[in-house]
Amino acid sequence: MLVFAVLATVMLVGALGVVLLRDPVHAALSLVGTLLTLAIAYVVLNAPFLAAIQVIVYAGAIMVLFLFVIMLLNLGGEAPAPTQPWIRPAAWITGGLVIAGVAAALVANPGPALDTAAIAAVFQGSGVEQVADQLFGPFLLSFHLVGVLLLTGIVAAVGLVQQRATETDKARAAAGQAGHMPPEVPPMPPVVEDAS
Amino acid sequence: MSGPVPTEAWVILSAALFAIGGIGVLTRRSAILVFLSVELMLNAANLALVAYAKQWATAGVNVAMSGQTVVFVVLAIAAAEVAVGLGILVAIFRDRLSTDVDVLSEVRL
Repeated sequence: MLVFAVLATVMLVGALGVVLLRDPVHAALSLVGTLLTLAIAYVVLNAPFLAAIQVIVYAGAIMVLFLFVIMLLNLGGEAPAPTQPWIRPAAWITGGLVIAGVAAALVANPGPALDTAAIAAVFQGSGVEQVADQLFGPFLLSFHLVGVLLLTGIVAAVGLVQQRATETDKARAAAGQAGHMPPEVPPMPPVVEDAS
Repeated sequence: MSGPVPTEAWVILSAALFAIGGIGVLTRRSAILVFLSVELMLNAANLALVAYAKQWATAGVNVAMSGQTVVFVVLAIAAAEVAVGLGILVAIFRDRLSTDVDVLSEVRL
């Protein structure tokens, strides 16, 4: 229970930091804290493989990509208030209602008590093997669809950059004709996607 | 309180994270921070999946592990989403020099 209390506190503080902090870099780092705490929560919940993946993929790859883009765009603090002033209180009230509703429903209908010994018997080893058995068994269709999705994502990201490069080439060529200057060598298109 | 933490506690925590993420999506103005809040919501859903996978583990290893496998799939989808989404954001920023969602209300590159 103590572990849960500590994890929940850190997670909620991190989540509130994502919503409240003004500096985007601070918000992103606060999300990293929440994600790392989630990895510890996965260990507590008998999912050590997912904990490792969470640290590697989320806290590692995805958040580095976020920080990279935030620093690339050099975003400062955002404008203080939304254009519609009623959005902020409405969002907080709705969020509070969601939490209260879920909590009320769960407290009113508790599930069966956890049988720790039986659960420990089911989760043996690191979980890699069991997850693989599921992924290449009942979840084979999902596996293929995710593969197609990743391919589509890569093609879309490359297409986005290519289109930019062509437009830049044309613009530079036009500027070169107008000013009788040879077009410069276009710079390398920046890589904005990570295929992880 | 003694004994294992009840599943309900984890799921309420997950709902809290999801609600905070939703608040972020609604109140944040920079598109990147909206994206960060969406990541928070995805992770809240993952936490609920893992918690329920443990709760129903006694129903068999298939039930226990399918919950964790769905989390794995969600992670892969999140990675693809971030790659494409941030690419689009950088492209928009080059045109508009802003990622404020109120400025970008007409979605055209």
